Amino acid sequence: MPQQAYAWIRSHPLVADGLLGLALLAGSADQLRVSPASAALAAIMVNTALALAVAIRRQNSVVAFGLAASVGLAQAAYGFQPDGGPSVRWLQPTVTDTAIVVLLYTLAARQTRRISLGGLVLCLAGSGLAISGWAFASRSASLLPLAIAALGATFVAAWLLGDSASYRRAYYVSLEERLTSAERARDLEEKRAQAVEESAARLRRIERDLHDGAQVRLTALAMTLGEIKETLAGHGNPREALELASEAHQAAKDTLSELRDLVRGIHPPVLDRGLQVALPSLTESSAIPVSLDIALAGRLSPAIEATVYFSAAELLANAAKHSGASRVAITVRSAAAGVVATVTDDGNGGARVTDGGGLAGLRQRVQTIDGSIGIHSPAGGPTVITIELPGRT
Amino acid sequence: MRIVIAEDAAIMRDGLAAILTRRGHDVAAAVGDPEALQRAVDEHRPDVAVIDVRMPPTHTDEGLRAALAIRRHFPATGVLVFSQYIEVHAAAELLSSAPAGVGYLLKDRVADVSDFIDAVTRVAEGGTVLDPEVVARLLNAGRRRDALAGLTPREREVLALLAQGRSNSAIAAGLFISPKVVEKHIANIFDKLGLASSDSDNRRVLAAIRYLGP
Repeated sequence: MPQQAYAWIRSHPLVADGLLGLALLAGSADQLRVSPASAALAAIMVNTALALAVAIRRQNSVVAFGLAASVGLAQAAYGFQPDGGPSVRWLQPTVTDTAIVVLLYTLAARQTRRISLGGLVLCLAGSGLAISGWAFASRSASLLPLAIAALGATFVAAWLLGDSASYRRAYYVSLEERLTSAERARDLEEKRAQAVEESAARLRRIERDLHDGAQVRLTALAMTLGEIKETLAGHGNPREALELASEAHQAAKDTLSELRDLVRGIHPPVLDRGLQVALPSLTESSAIPVSLDIALAGRLSPAIEATVYFSAAELLANAAKHSGASRVAITVRSAAAGVVATVTDDGNGGARVTDGGGLAGLRQRVQTIDGSIGIHSPAGGPTVITIELPGRT
Repeated sequence: MRIVIAEDAAIMRDGLAAILTRRGHDVAAAVGDPEALQRAVDEHRPDVAVIDVRMPPTHTDEGLRAALAIRRHFPATGVLVFSQYIEVHAAAELLSSAPAGVGYLLKDRVADVSDFIDAVTRVAEGGTVLDPEVVARLLNAGRRRDALAGLTPREREVLALLAQGRSNSAIAAGLFISPKVVEKHIANIFDKLGLASSDSDNRRVLAAIRYLGP
C-alpha cells in the first residue's frame, strides 16, 4: 500500500504537490484575517504564490524556488520594521512560509550543487534578516541566536536531504545503465555462441551429407569402373562390361544430381544474383501457387539475403507439407530498420514452434543475425509469419 | 569363401556383394547395422566379415566395436574393417586386440577390385592387411623418424610393405627384386630396429606395428 501511494505520487507530481501547497495554505488560514479587506486579499495572494511555488516544484524547481525566495525576502524586508514601527501587515510571514524548506529540498535534489548551495545561502541570509526584524519588532533579542540556529539548522538539513536524494538518484541511474549494458553483453554472447553452434552443426550436416551421399556413390562408381577395366583386360565378356558401364554411367549421373542438390542447400548459386532473381526461381518449383511481391531498394548483405531465401524456402515447404493451403503469398519489403518478409498461407493454421522443429530452427537462424520472427496462426488459419531482419539495403 | 558384409549405404553393400559373387565367393548375408551383423555372423559363421566403420545408430565407430566383438566371440571369422577416412588409432586398436585375421582398409581401395578381393582373401585366411596410408602415416610420425633414420630408403620401402601384411614374395614382386634380397633387407631391418626375426607373417606385422604404433 505505501508503495502504491509512493508510485502514485511519483507519477502525478503536479496533483500531489498541488495538494501539499493547499495544505500549507490551509495551515495559515487564521493568520490571513487582516483588515482592511484589500490587505487580506493581498495577504491571500502572497500566500497563494508560495503555495503555487510548491505545486510546480517538480516542474521547474528553479522557478519555484525563485518565486518563493522573492516572496520570502519581501516578507523579511517589509513584514517587520526594525525600529518597531508599523509593518506592512499583508507581508507578515505565515505557516505557508515553511514552503521554502520544501523548495530548498527540491532544489538540492534536482539541481547542481552550485545552484542548490546558492539557494541555501539565500535561505540562511533571508532567515537571518527575518528573525532579526521579528526580534526587533517583538523586543525579544535574547531569543535571537536560538531562533537563527534553529532555522539555519532546518535549512541545512533540508539541503542535505535533497542533496543526498540527488546523489542516490544518480547512483541508481548508473546502476540501471550498468545492468542494461550487462544484459546486452550477455545477450550478444548468447547469440554469438548460438551462431557458432549453428555453423558447426551445419558443417556436420554437410559432412554427413557428403559422406553418406556423394562419397559413397563415387566409391561405388570407382569400384564399378575397376570391375569394367578388369573385365575388359581379363577374360573379357563384352556384354558384362557393357552392363557394368551403363550402371556406372547412371551412377555418375545420380552423383552429379545429388551434388547439385547439396550445393544448392549450402548456397544456392542463384542467390548471387539477388533476391529479385532467387525468390522467383524458388517459388516456381513450389507445389502450391505462390504470389510474390518484392519491393527492395537494392541488394541486401549476403547473410540477410541468404536468411530471407532459406526462411522462404522453409516456410514454403512447411505450407506444402502441413497446412493444406491452396495459395501462398510472399512479400519482401525494405523497412526503416532493414527488411521485412511476410509469408501468408490460406491453410488450416495451428503452426507452432516445437523443439527441434522447422520453425524453431528458423527462429534460431533469424535471431542469430539479430532479427525477429512473428507467428500468427490461429486454428483454422490463415497463417501469417513475419520475419524482420536488420541490415542496410 | 563365405563372406558377410555390413555396410549401411545400400549402393555400396550391393556393389560389394556383386563383385564378390561374380568371383565365385559366397556372400551369405549383406546387412546394414551392427546387430544384424552379429546375428548374421552367428548364423553363417563366415570366413570373413567386411565391415564399414560408420554405421547406425551414431555413425561413429559402431563397425569397429562390432569387429572387435566378432574377433572375440568367433575366432574363426576374420574381420576386414573399411572406412572413408583413415584413423590410425582405430587401426592400432584393431591390431593390438587381434593380430591375426584382421584388416583395415580405406574404402577407396575397392576401386582396384582384384587388390581388394586379394585383401579379403588374406584376412579370411588369417592374415593381416593394413592400408598403405596407415603405414605411411606411422612411418612419417615425427617421434618415430629418429629411430627409422638408420634405415636405407630401400629398407624403408620394404618395411612399409611388410607392415601392410605382404608376404616376402609379394614384396619382392612389388619392388622388382628377388625374394632372397627381400629376406636380407628384412633381416637388416629387424636387426637395426632390435627386433627378433620370425617366419610368421603375422608376427612380423605385429612386430612392425608394435614398433611403429602410436
